[in-house]
Amino acid sequence: MNDRMRIRVLLLRVLVLSLLATLGARLWVLQVLDNDHYRQVAETNRVREVVTPATRGMILDDRGQPLVRNRTSLVISVNRSTTDRQADHGKAVLTRLATVIGTPADELTRRIRFCTAQVKPPCWNGSPYQPVPVAKDVSPQQALAVIEHPDRFPGVSADLQAVREYPHGSLAAHELGYLAPVTQDQLDKQGDEKGYHLNSLIGVAGLESTYDDELRGTDGVERLEVDRFGRVAGTASTTAPVSGDHLVLNLDLGVQQATEQALQDTINQLGGGNRTASAVVLDVRTGGVVAMASLPSYDPSVFVGGVSEQDYRALSDPANGIPLLSRAYQGSGAAGSTFKVVSTAVAMQNLGAKGDQLFDCAPTLQIGDQVFHNFDGESAGPITLHRALVISCDVIFDQFAYDSWLADGGLRNGRGPYSPPKEYFARMSEAMGFGKATGLDLPGEAEGSVVDRAGARAIWEELKDSYCRRAKNGYPEERDPVKAERFRKYAAEACVDGYLYNAGAATQFAIGQGQYLSLSPLQLATAYAAIANGGTLWKPTLAKAAVAPDGRVVRTFQPRKAGTLPVSPEILAYIRGGLRGVTTEGGGTATGVFADWPSDIVPIAAKTGTAEVEGKGDTSWFASFAPADDPRFAVVVTIPDSGTGAEYAGPVAKRIYQAIYGVGQAAAMPGGKPPGSLPKINRDGTIAATSAADPFTPSPAVSTASTSRTVPPVGTIVAAPVSAPGPGPVTGPSAGGPLAVLPALSTTADAARTGPALATGATGPAVWHPPPGNAGRPAAVGVLSSAPSRAPPAGTARP
Amino acid sequence: MTQEAGPTALRSSPVPVRGRIGQLRDRASGRHSPLRRLDWTLQLCVIGLSVVGALLVWSATRQRLGEAGGDPQTFLKRHLLNLAIGLVLGAVATVVDYRVLRAYAPFVYLGSLVGLVAVLLFGSTINGAHSWIVLPAGFQLQPSEFAKVALVVGAAMILGEQHEDRHTGIRRSAPGHGDVLLVLGLTVVPIALIMLQPDFGTVMVLVFTTLGMLAVSGAPRRWVLGLILCGVLFGGAILQFHLLQPYQEARLTSFVSENKASSGTGYNVAQAMIAIANGGVTGRGLLHGQQTQGQFVPEQQTDFVFSVAGEELGYLGAGGIIVLLGVVLWRALSIGFASQDSFGALIATGVVCWFTFQSFVNIGMCLGIMPVTGLPLPFLSYGGSSMFANMIAVGLLQNVRLRSRSDPYAL
Repeated sequence: MNDRMRIRVLLLRVLVLSLLATLGARLWVLQVLDNDHYRQVAETNRVREVVTPATRGMILDDRGQPLVRNRTSLVISVNRSTTDRQADHGKAVLTRLATVIGTPADELTRRIRFCTAQVKPPCWNGSPYQPVPVAKDVSPQQALAVIEHPDRFPGVSADLQAVREYPHGSLAAHELGYLAPVTQDQLDKQGDEKGYHLNSLIGVAGLESTYDDELRGTDGVERLEVDRFGRVAGTASTTAPVSGDHLVLNLDLGVQQATEQALQDTINQLGGGNRTASAVVLDVRTGGVVAMASLPSYDPSVFVGGVSEQDYRALSDPANGIPLLSRAYQGSGAAGSTFKVVSTAVAMQNLGAKGDQLFDCAPTLQIGDQVFHNFDGESAGPITLHRALVISCDVIFDQFAYDSWLADGGLRNGRGPYSPPKEYFARMSEAMGFGKATGLDLPGEAEGSVVDRAGARAIWEELKDSYCRRAKNGYPEERDPVKAERFRKYAAEACVDGYLYNAGAATQFAIGQGQYLSLSPLQLATAYAAIANGGTLWKPTLAKAAVAPDGRVVRTFQPRKAGTLPVSPEILAYIRGGLRGVTTEGGGTATGVFADWPSDIVPIAAKTGTAEVEGKGDTSWFASFAPADDPRFAVVVTIPDSGTGAEYAGPVAKRIYQAIYGVGQAAAMPGGKPPGSLPKINRDGTIAATSAADPFTPSPAVSTASTSRTVPPVGTIVAAPVSAPGPGPVTGPSAGGPLAVLPALSTTADAARTGPALATGATGPAVWHPPPGNAGRPAAVGVLSSAPSRAPPAGTARP
Repeated sequence: MTQEAGPTALRSSPVPVRGRIGQLRDRASGRHSPLRRLDWTLQLCVIGLSVVGALLVWSATRQRLGEAGGDPQTFLKRHLLNLAIGLVLGAVATVVDYRVLRAYAPFVYLGSLVGLVAVLLFGSTINGAHSWIVLPAGFQLQPSEFAKVALVVGAAMILGEQHEDRHTGIRRSAPGHGDVLLVLGLTVVPIALIMLQPDFGTVMVLVFTTLGMLAVSGAPRRWVLGLILCGVLFGGAILQFHLLQPYQEARLTSFVSENKASSGTGYNVAQAMIAIANGGVTGRGLLHGQQTQGQFVPEQQTDFVFSVAGEELGYLGAGGIIVLLGVVLWRALSIGFASQDSFGALIATGVVCWFTFQSFVNIGMCLGIMPVTGLPLPFLSYGGSSMFANMIAVGLLQNVRLRSRSDPYAL
């Protein structure tokens, strides 16, 4: 052995010692310094959690009728921690199970394998200690076959599980939303805070999403001590699941049903296809959403147990009208003449127009090389703004907008030697809540757009490059050369001066047209509600209260104010008067629709709208509220690709009002207002109808006992002979009770109560006698009741 | 036989000068008998480690065996039996003069190749590697363990040969290029065969053992550095182009990945670390580790036996094992240092490199600082072939030691 080797052996010795020292140091870190941390880890290591999902709260309408509830489903599950320990890893058991539930064993094997980055569904994404559900809604026979032969099915169990059920199918699907399994990302970020577990279902759309915290409840957790193979050594702790709270809505089942039915009938009448239609009904005093519907809709039960890719594609397919999308709050477009209420407010509040001032409703208005026509080119001569609203004269409002545009500097847009533009129309639109989300308690609301001068410039800055490219290259993909040339010319103009504030578009703004304005039906409804209630812009709210399963009210959702209209009360009253004229005065655009409506009892204030849409039929709009003199409900209906507002949207709105007030049918809103109290949820979890708690409610026996019906001589407010409802605990007498109802002409203390009985002021035009069941009520208060119905005095009916 | 005096021995001989009669008596039974001149420190440490290993293996397996209805002491007994057989094999390796052994080195080497080929033909697959030949009566043979011994002996023969060939009195300072190439060739064949099993861990042991022996033998520096560079590049290429099986790559990379708690290889390591950390300073006591008795650490009687030591014996016990291993390696290096010839020194070097690499990787794996490679911990992990190979290696060390001194009574 030479010296060179000796040196290298010495080096080797140093190397060996340093390696061992490294191990010793690492061991010290692990055993002494990190000891505490790892003790905790060891604890969780030995403890397995078995989660019992909490029963999710129901979603109830304003009267306690379930819109979403839970049903039990017999579910067969395979516990892998048992089957994996079998000699053949559960193969024989799965084969036997396959014959019982009629699913191929291969499929079962796929369902119980663990998901990884490589293994895609079908696979199990949950905890290995959680039994994997392999079959849902199995028959009791199948479940018994498993339960009664634990020897043949070791590791297989059959349990009752709660799954979401939608008793009314697709009703209000966009509002209710649906559930989906929690994602790994949510679990990582919010798992502890929100109490998610690996296979938790959480709301991902609609109310299920917004109020997930209220509805979900707290899962029960049983902590089991186990060894590595999952063999249970004991129970460390157990917490029982706490059911989620029920969510009571402002939404009313009856109104919602009537709304959807009316929309569906109209779509059918138009020829179906991928047509859409939507409607919103708000409580103008609170912003409560009484009904909101968009068709086509979908049955949320397709999401129960996981939506298939095919179903999801169908629900997102434009050829089907994108059923997943709610046009009521997620779509926006030109609002047409319904927007004229805003223009009237601008004219009177900002531009100094007076109520009795006359303006020329000429047949046309020439602006530059553009000519603006009245609808059908009609001329009405000099008229007031009131009349302009009633007959929907375009030119007068166009003129205001054009003048306003001129005063703001015309085309000029940007810095210049002139005073900053006032932009009254854009400002008033924003004050009405357009161009931003209303604050509805649902995710994914459309904001629409209000484009002022600065906005136009910003958009142009963003798009000019593409305009200029198109100006150069044209539209080679467009087959029609004439169209392609027209597009190219437009692009060429936009490339050069697209930032200018277009006179045509600014003028059309006043009549709810043009590229500077777009709004959703819900936005329009909130604006009309604000005009109706004297100027308060509410955030539309679906939820009314969260009620614990034992009936305790956990939380009430108070009306939320979004702003106040910058319009004086006198002007708002003037506008309301004009809108009332639309349905009642000669020449009013909606008088035809409401010709047979009892306007003297429930006057309707409304505005029709017919928005022109490039390449499609007109969008029919109808925006309204009632009663006109003491507004309670705002109704907006939108039917794209149809015709005028009076033709399509108007009749739908009328049907909605008929349902609300019980004209020719049962009143969905007895008393013409939403229930004043929350539905009573019994201690045992069953739900009593709202009105059952009302001491002044005639007992079901009274209201249903009578079979005598009197056909009303005149008019259409009838004590409708609707089939008597069963006095079930859920529907209660009020929901279907045959009622005719008066508007709240005045209110008394009693009138604030809910129920089929409606109190009216003694001074009202109609005084009805109390039905026998209510004989004990104060004499001064007339009660319009269902049975026995009496014909109203002749004076109350519309001639 | 060399009769050279040992002017190069650093230590002064413990043998005092005596009269001839005394020397004869000593030779028979006294302090100069070969038995006495064995490195008993080394031997006792090895036996101590093996006995501790037997206890740990017992603790790791008795629960499972008991539940299965078998004899809870099966593994304890077998480990001790392996130790006994290993000691016999080691004694044989000690008694045969290593210089005679050198003559048979080619046969030892070829024999190990035969074993490696046989395992490919008749072997069984356990834990993803086709490394075992199953024998009757529940015994298994793992030829790759013996390949380690064969490679050490073979490489030492070639690298040490130069010094013996010419009795010119001038030692050649280093093996030449031809020798290095020959050693590389000698290493590549078993590596290729073991790769086919595949047993990546053993391949790495062979690579590092050869590298260590080349470095110590005084091979040209550019060879040593070049080989290290090649190794780095090769390792990079393997990971870059995914030449390994996915599970192998996962084992290698899981120790740097964050999520160790998930199943798979990272799970083993995470559980091992939990077990070790729970031992604290004094440990939970033998047979009382919760992780161990709950069998949370897979393979805890073989590759992860150190986790049992960590949990049940604590820092004192597990650290003690590291110290004992350190003593073994220290003594082995001393034996090499004192060796008369390069062959002996290189044998010791090879054994040290082998044990060091295997110990460091194994314990490092349990502590989460090295990748999972499936290498047993020398003397402690359960496994017959491994125990036998280790004991033969220890026997060779003793062999070198017996013949290393300037000792007139050398056998």
